[in-house]
Amino acid sequence: MTALSLAVAHGGPLRHLPAVLAPALVPILVLVLGLDVFCLVNLVRAKSVRNAPKLAWAIVILAVSAPIGALLYLFFGMNRGDRAATAASVAAADPAPPIAPVVLTGRTPAGTPLIVTTSGLTKDYGGNGLFSVDLAVPRGSVYGLVGLNGAGKTTLLSILSATRRPTAGSVNVAVDRRRVAVCPDVPDFDGWLTAREVVDLACVLIAPDLGEVAVSAALRTAGLADAADRRVGAFSRGMVQRLGLACALVGDPELLILDEPTSALDPVGRADMLDLVASLRGQRTVIFSSHILADVQRVADHVGILRDGRLVYQGTARDLIDTYLSPRWLIRIAGDAAPVAAAMARAGWVTSVASAGPDVIRVDAISMEAGERGIPAVLAACGARQVSCEPDAADLESAFLALTGPGRS
Amino acid sequence: MTSTATAGVRYRRMNLWRLEWLRLVRTPRAVSLAVLFVAIGLLEPVVTKYENTIFAHLGNGVRISSPPPTPADGLNAYVSEVLLVGLILVVVLAAGALTFDASQGRAIFLRTRVASSWQLLAPRAAVTAAAAAVAYLLGTLAAWYETSLLLGSLPAAPMLAGLLCGAVYLGFAVAVTALAASFARSTIATSGIAFMILLILPVLGNVRVLGRWLPSALVNAPVGLVSGAQQLGYYWPALVVAAMASAAALAVATRRLNAREV
Repeated sequence: MTALSLAVAHGGPLRHLPAVLAPALVPILVLVLGLDVFCLVNLVRAKSVRNAPKLAWAIVILAVSAPIGALLYLFFGMNRGDRAATAASVAAADPAPPIAPVVLTGRTPAGTPLIVTTSGLTKDYGGNGLFSVDLAVPRGSVYGLVGLNGAGKTTLLSILSATRRPTAGSVNVAVDRRRVAVCPDVPDFDGWLTAREVVDLACVLIAPDLGEVAVSAALRTAGLADAADRRVGAFSRGMVQRLGLACALVGDPELLILDEPTSALDPVGRADMLDLVASLRGQRTVIFSSHILADVQRVADHVGILRDGRLVYQGTARDLIDTYLSPRWLIRIAGDAAPVAAAMARAGWVTSVASAGPDVIRVDAISMEAGERGIPAVLAACGARQVSCEPDAADLESAFLALTGPGRS
Repeated sequence: MTSTATAGVRYRRMNLWRLEWLRLVRTPRAVSLAVLFVAIGLLEPVVTKYENTIFAHLGNGVRISSPPPTPADGLNAYVSEVLLVGLILVVVLAAGALTFDASQGRAIFLRTRVASSWQLLAPRAAVTAAAAAVAYLLGTLAAWYETSLLLGSLPAAPMLAGLLCGAVYLGFAVAVTALAASFARSTIATSGIAFMILLILPVLGNVRVLGRWLPSALVNAPVGLVSGAQQLGYYWPALVVAAMASAAALAVATRRLNAREV
């Protein structure tokens, strides 16, 4: 019990005060005791605390004169990670030293040079975050990081950008940190600067030797040449996102980390952005996150899928689709489809046949290979005129849902 | 600093110091600082001079009589007001510049492009402190002029020494705000923490042993020096402590900001 609490409980010093002071002191006591109670409740609910065990902090809060004990706990004991997790906000201060990324050069597993690798990467926000992520990003690739909201995409990109520290595991970036450019999902700049000044500042900080030609080129590439001398405060969100990209491009980076780069863009802007990202393949490495799977499928040659903080798939987009594609086809026939459906139903490799329209049948096979071999043979045997035959739902979305949908663990 | 021509317009290359200069001149910061300090400098000696007259008109027949104001009273009125209202403005403006982590998008833009938070902190703290010092100088000159005109002349050497003390205190306030910015992310929270620290110091200053050594002693230095109650030597401990505490606050702030995650 603190000295102040005791004073209140026993009416000690308060008894000797003039009556007029009591109403003035009560709010102060309520404030001080409220702070103590808040800290104790927080301590009880916290999954972990910093610098000392929970019991020690409880003693500090209760025994050190109020509100000093509570303030000590707030500044030095309360785990900001817990708070960030519960409030779904970013992590706060941590007295650990800044991140010093280990630079890996020339590591080439299976003949593919990798520019970014992580090993057992974990960022624990009290049960949320990232867990044991082993990322492998090939140099020169466009790597799409997909996942549901809260899957850990931004956390992973933040750790790769060195703006957050992992709880465990390591990050290896095989490029000088100054050649890594980051564009957040919601870029923000001082509104009283012009677009040219913002990009110039980015250029001067990263590559001071590059002149204003590089600044103009980056603005042109991002589609902001006409708005270069306008104040950023008057920009739409899409223009700000383009400006963020211009800032990322101006330093001629080897590695571009883009968090949801198309989230604020209109359809034309989205197409431009995706074309730009695709055009960088081979020259630069791009890691970008998105929840728009069509965007990822369009430009990414490698895909990583995060689910509840775990990397559930990593590899080429083509392999992903092939692996998780259902062995199901939609076959459109010119003329009567009923004889073809009957012939399909008799085939041993067919598991089901159903009508999907007047001249369309849906065929399920025991495997992709069986279907790919069997369908042409049955169609030929029937003498049917085939209009089209395509895998049903052969896209990244199907594969993504197969990996992240309910029932997966 | 280099400059190039763009579409016929001279364009100066950006850097973090120019960024802070533009923050001052393209936002109402410079103007508001100058206007507030000068306005107080111009008004307070006038109010002091005509205090009795004003009270006579507002007193509903009750006459409040005080001795004729001295030049030191005019300066005292200015210093009291400016190191309260002016200090609030300086702290809020400093917090606005120093809380570069308030917006995650802005924080990522800046932090991924510098090796240490010191590169961001130094120009922001220095330019804000310099702007506050210049505003304080202008306000003091205005108060000096009005006081000399209405109440009598003020001695030059103590005035300059008092100016130095006030400027050092404002610099200390900016450094405290930088420290506060390492504990909070928002401008409001940072301002609140800085005010809390700055308000606690005068309370501690009531302890006789500490009073001379705390930076808050500098608040009343201009009046003490001009009235002849103290010599500059009396304030040296506070000046030294303020300078050292400012450096320490900036060092701690840098360390904490380097460790902070965005």
